Amino acid sequence: MAGVRLQDLDKVYSLNGREIKALNGINLEIAAQSFVTIVGQSGCGKTTLLRILSGLEEKTAGAMIFSDPPGAQVRTGIVFQEPRLMPWLTVQQNMVFSLRGCTKGIIAKQANKYLNLLGLKEFQDAYPGQISGGMAQRAALGRTLCFEPRLILMDEPLSALDAFTRRKLQQEILDIYLLEKQTIVFVTHDVDEAVYLGQKVVVMDKGKVVDEISVNLPYPRDPYSRDYARLKERILDAILQKEAGTRQNGSQGGKK
Amino acid sequence: MQIINRMVIPFLLLAVWWAGAEIGWFNSYLLPHPAKVFDTAVSLTQKGTLFEHLAASLYRVLGGFSITFAVAFPLAVFLALHKKSYYFVEPVLEFIRHVPPIALIPILILWFGIGETSKLAVIFLAAFFPVFLNTSSAIISCDVKLLEVGKVFSFSGREQFFKIMLPQALPQIMVGMQLALGYSWRSLIGAELIAASSGIGYMIIEAEQLSRPDIILVGIFTIGLLGYFIDYLFLKATRFILHWTGRKEKLWQE
Ligand SMILES: Nc1ncnc2c1ncn2[C@@H]1O[C@H](COP(=O)(O)OP(=O)(O)OP(=O)(O)O)[C@@H](O)[C@H]1O
Ligand SMILES: [Mg+2]
Repeated sequence: MAGVRLQDLDKVYSLNGREIKALNGINLEIAAQSFVTIVGQSGCGKTTLLRILSGLEEKTAGAMIFSDPPGAQVRTGIVFQEPRLMPWLTVQQNMVFSLRGCTKGIIAKQANKYLNLLGLKEFQDAYPGQISGGMAQRAALGRTLCFEPRLILMDEPLSALDAFTRRKLQQEILDIYLLEKQTIVFVTHDVDEAVYLGQKVVVMDKGKVVDEISVNLPYPRDPYSRDYARLKERILDAILQKEAGTRQNGSQGGKK
Repeated sequence: MQIINRMVIPFLLLAVWWAGAEIGWFNSYLLPHPAKVFDTAVSLTQKGTLFEHLAASLYRVLGGFSITFAVAFPLAVFLALHKKSYYFVEPVLEFIRHVPPIALIPILILWFGIGETSKLAVIFLAAFFPVFLNTSSAIISCDVKLLEVGKVFSFSGREQFFKIMLPQALPQIMVGMQLALGYSWRSLIGAELIAASSGIGYMIIEAEQLSRPDIILVGIFTIGLLGYFIDYLFLKATRFILHWTGRKEKLWQE
């Protein structure tokens, strides 16, 4: 299905004549219908990786191979860090933004399904300026789901939300994933979120994959269990260890 | 209530004018009694003269504005989407932009005579830039983040334009149109003062030659009130079309 393999993937940005190596030989297997989370410090290339997977950015070198259909870009949706809703459309209109050439009936059905799943039914006629950040991010998620992608990319979609709303949305995302079994790649800088959601946690540093940790705990996960805590510890170590040793190359351009 | 509050100062001014005229503060040739101006307005209305001139001016403004929009809008969109060609047209546009339309009236009269064409040309020159500049800058500065949303949904160029760029640019385009209407109105009156045989501007200049300050004042009030009214209508229309910009109050908090 919608699996993808990345081989020696490089991405070089040039910024004012300076070269920034955002991705430096990424090798990664994303199994079809799996939930993969990616963690890493700011500037390590997480967003760049997602943008290349979504087709918004061209890779500089390496290969990106989708397993089915072989070679072709699979139907992909992305949820950005900000909701990016169209302010002139209502919540409902935003949700069905991608649907073109469908009958009104199909559009309404599709909208209703996700309005209900995401608890947005009451607010379907509100404009983005009228709803809270959590609601807006739900609508953005709904917009991506309505598109029915087989690969869903999420770039820290919950990082702007308070802890309570965030946990609620994590659960909703899991529910939808368990229901529809898309392939999900979820970027976060929150280790807890990575362990709560991912079947595999990918640790990135300076444009490289430095560790891959399987999480073999059943959903829904208990954040207070010992296994959970141990995994968190291990991932945190993976992120921090690399920081001490390899700190000389110029790939760490960005956000200071 | 608000309307009444807003009318306080205009009424005070009118009262001062009236009292001054009664007491004889003002030379009645330079500033006639408001009652006389009012009578003149009534009789000009009854005779139909005022309406005739008004219709002539309005007709020019609306016609000229429509023509201008039909040219400036597509041109702005085209150049905004093809920035390379913008680069070549820019010097000419910048040159024309810095010449006030009023300064071109003599040459326009020479070319087009004192008929309707020269009036439309003046309006065109006045209204072109507000529409053109606001439209092109709104399209150029379209939010890349929103365009990326369309790109991920594999929107065509056409869909990107109609579903994202245009709606996002609309508020600024409307601002340009509103400015353009105001500019058209002003420059037209200027043109009618210089050369015309109808229109509010012509009515004013003719009254000056006939030594009828009361008619001049009726003309001035008509211009001011009508401009105000057109602007008001346009604002109402803008609010209706851009109803979503007003929707900022939060309905619900998490
Ligand atoms: N468009 C661009 N032009 C130039 N450099 C870029 C561009 N986008 C990203 N970079 C650089 O590439 C590197 C990786 O950036 P990226 O946004 O992928 O990091 P990130 O892991 O998503 O960080 P964060 O957690 O802060 O979002 C950074 O050094 C960044 O400055
Ligand atoms: Mg990022």
